[in-house]
Amino acid sequence: MSTLVELARRALQLLLVLWAIATILFLIFRLMPGNPLAAYIEPTFSLEQQQELLQTFGLDKSLPEQYVIYLRNLVRGDLGVSFTYRRPVRDVIASVFPNTVVLTISALLVSYLIGTVWGALMGWFRGRRFEKVSVPLVLIGRAAPEFWVGMILLAVFSFGLGWFPSGGANTAGAQFGSELERFLSLDFWTHLFLPALSLGLYLFGMPALLMRSSVLEVVKEDYVTVARSKGLSDSRVLFKHVSRNAMFPVVTAFALGIGYSIGGNVVIETVFSWPGLGRLLVRAVSASDYPLAQGAFFLIALVIVIMNFLADLTYRLLDPRVKNG
Amino acid sequence: MRRLSIRSLLIGLALSALAMSLAQEPVRSFTLLTRPQAAAPYEFQSAQIIAQTWRKLGLDVNVQVMPWEQMSDVVWYQRDAWDVSGWQMVGRPERSDPDEIVYNLFHSSTAEDGYNFVGYINPEYDAVVEAQRGETDPEKRRAEIFEAQEILARDQPYMMTAYPLNAHAFRADVFDPDSAVLQSGLGIRNFWTNISLQPIGNQRDIVTNSADPVQAINPLYISGGVDSWVYELIWDRLLRIDENGLPTPWAAESYEWLDDVTIDVTVKNDMKWHDGEPLTLDDVVFSYETAGSGEAPMYAPFVKGIESMEKVGDWTLRFHLKEPNAPFLTATLAKINLIPRHIWEPVIEDLKNSPQNAESYQEEVPVGSGPFRFDRWIMNQEIVLVANKDHFSPPKVDRFILRNIANTEAVLGMLRSGELNFVSEYAGDIGLLEEVAQSGPIKLVLAEDIGFRMFTFNNRRAPFDSADFRRALSYSVSRDVLVQAAFSGYATPANSVVSIALPFWHNPAVDNPATGEDVARAILEEAGYTWDSKGRLLYPATRN
Repeated sequence: MSTLVELARRALQLLLVLWAIATILFLIFRLMPGNPLAAYIEPTFSLEQQQELLQTFGLDKSLPEQYVIYLRNLVRGDLGVSFTYRRPVRDVIASVFPNTVVLTISALLVSYLIGTVWGALMGWFRGRRFEKVSVPLVLIGRAAPEFWVGMILLAVFSFGLGWFPSGGANTAGAQFGSELERFLSLDFWTHLFLPALSLGLYLFGMPALLMRSSVLEVVKEDYVTVARSKGLSDSRVLFKHVSRNAMFPVVTAFALGIGYSIGGNVVIETVFSWPGLGRLLVRAVSASDYPLAQGAFFLIALVIVIMNFLADLTYRLLDPRVKNG
Repeated sequence: MRRLSIRSLLIGLALSALAMSLAQEPVRSFTLLTRPQAAAPYEFQSAQIIAQTWRKLGLDVNVQVMPWEQMSDVVWYQRDAWDVSGWQMVGRPERSDPDEIVYNLFHSSTAEDGYNFVGYINPEYDAVVEAQRGETDPEKRRAEIFEAQEILARDQPYMMTAYPLNAHAFRADVFDPDSAVLQSGLGIRNFWTNISLQPIGNQRDIVTNSADPVQAINPLYISGGVDSWVYELIWDRLLRIDENGLPTPWAAESYEWLDDVTIDVTVKNDMKWHDGEPLTLDDVVFSYETAGSGEAPMYAPFVKGIESMEKVGDWTLRFHLKEPNAPFLTATLAKINLIPRHIWEPVIEDLKNSPQNAESYQEEVPVGSGPFRFDRWIMNQEIVLVANKDHFSPPKVDRFILRNIANTEAVLGMLRSGELNFVSEYAGDIGLLEEVAQSGPIKLVLAEDIGFRMFTFNNRRAPFDSADFRRALSYSVSRDVLVQAAFSGYATPANSVVSIALPFWHNPAVDNPATGEDVARAILEEAGYTWDSKGRLLYPATRN
């Protein structure tokens, strides 16, 4: 019973947060300098056309009116019509969102798998040469600008060695029976490799460092000493006993990482001409395409909020000590 | 009565005293707007050079950097809130006729809310550009266009800087290097090249790039510049602008002026839409009616001059114009896309009952009659068009693939690796492109643009309301220095809004005016400006 009440409370909180986000998004783009009509300035652009455009965009109505329409549509799942693409925002976002999801998830998965093991080893071999070399390496990966890493990878593996294509998500003119077929094709994966690697090199630092400090904490626990005194091998102690308990913060970071990375790939998408959400978003903001920018940001916020919620839930499931607070 | 007249005398005295004190005032400080270095390096660099030069004349100039979105908002919608601003006009095939530029940019009727955003008002100029619009004799019209350019050179509503060079390149091992068509003012990226490129090997597709993604593929919506590369291939027009910049029959078999306001256009009688339906004269009439119907507001200005249309026989359409209209061939017949009535009529009917118009209607599969058929559009990635081998002028290639490449440097790598075989857009350092071109079988073509770069003066506001002042400021700066320093030499100095890429219309008499600090000081002195002991520029004693 109390769990149900708690869940309802959380869900209500979630809705409140989403409403606040939607409101901020509505206001922020309208208060920004710039004008959605500026994209249409042409020598033949007349006053009637300006008026007509304002009407088409619904900008001839007062701000409160616009706000009510916006919220009502949002509740119905209608994100409006993009000013620049003149198509429903939902369709525009849907056409690029899968590419972003695949890029983000694949980079996250690989970097968290490797990063967790690497971090555990760093913690285990504290003070040895492995750790001394690894920590600066991980920090460099974390600190290096993504566009720089991306350009270096392009210069070496595409322009130099010619192993990988230099941009896009598919070869020019490639055709597939379905989206699924496209995602499973070798062509897609060779295009995905370099952008995912650039993103992965950046993401890798988080699980590695988290895992390292977490392992350092856990090895001090009594049960580890017990396990060792039982004569278990190092690797068995590390991976069976230590890592399992040191993983909690990494699991949370993973869930949150999905949310933060989904919207944060602008740089990598630009370097690799990847048709994703980040580039769409930047263009929408610079063209004052309010509906598209609102829709894209709202989607990102939604993913972050839900992932937060899930991270919270998994924490409760994994660690009974976390009580409702 | 007597008291009143004394009072007015006193007021008059006070006013003239005020005028005297004003007369000795230094010219106020002002702001020069430019886009950021990363977005428009040539503009940013030009602004720095120009500001330095003007400071030497005793002026207090601030350079303010703004992103384009903000700058266009200020310059366009707050017309008396700025002083000087960087700006540009891009080249388009329709701008091969000078009317759009000389009329819309400077005629007083567009000053309030149209393209005359600088607020240039000159009745003498208005008369000249109105006259050229009605003049159908090309030689006489040319004389008027020349005169307009001379007036602009004298009054300097803009400070012209340069005609940029377009850089395009393609793989000479994929296409016959001689099969690309150089179109005056556009370079080799143009409609004619796309239907003429001759493949010489197994690669039979044009794979080309754009930095911006395509927004819409819609024959009734003038969206981004890149979009026009696509819709000009899918939809035909009665006329097209040929490689010399002149209108030539296309879907029309021929045209004939009956008098100043009547023109007969005979349409080719064996054309087909991409869905197999025949193209009829009714489709043509429908296309022109739709452009003016209010459901396609961006096209409405181009058909405004049509009084009525009349079918004369099965394949001839007679246009009655409201008044003589010299740019009609270029601005109307070569502009309006021909659309199939059987597809668009129901759509337009629906739209009439909705707040939306045809600009927000995206066909699932766009249907035109042009040399390429729509195949697919993968958003922000690529557009694939397939050659329409049934067309009267079929392309030599199999497909036209337009890739959206956001990374300028990657364009170079892709051209070298063959991932792209035609570079349509390159915003980076042209020197690097030249290096890449020399390293392999790549043909690079540089060409002057119809478009231009300039700085605009807000003619409404002092001190820029004085033509002398504007001319002095403009001529204080050497265009050769600008071209070398800001454009790395890849541009041609400019002093006319009619580009040298339009040799018939460009007036060479205004080219290469004398420039320099001395020239500017001489103009200012002659106009009565003086300098104070600190070297600050002062307004003339008699300001009117």
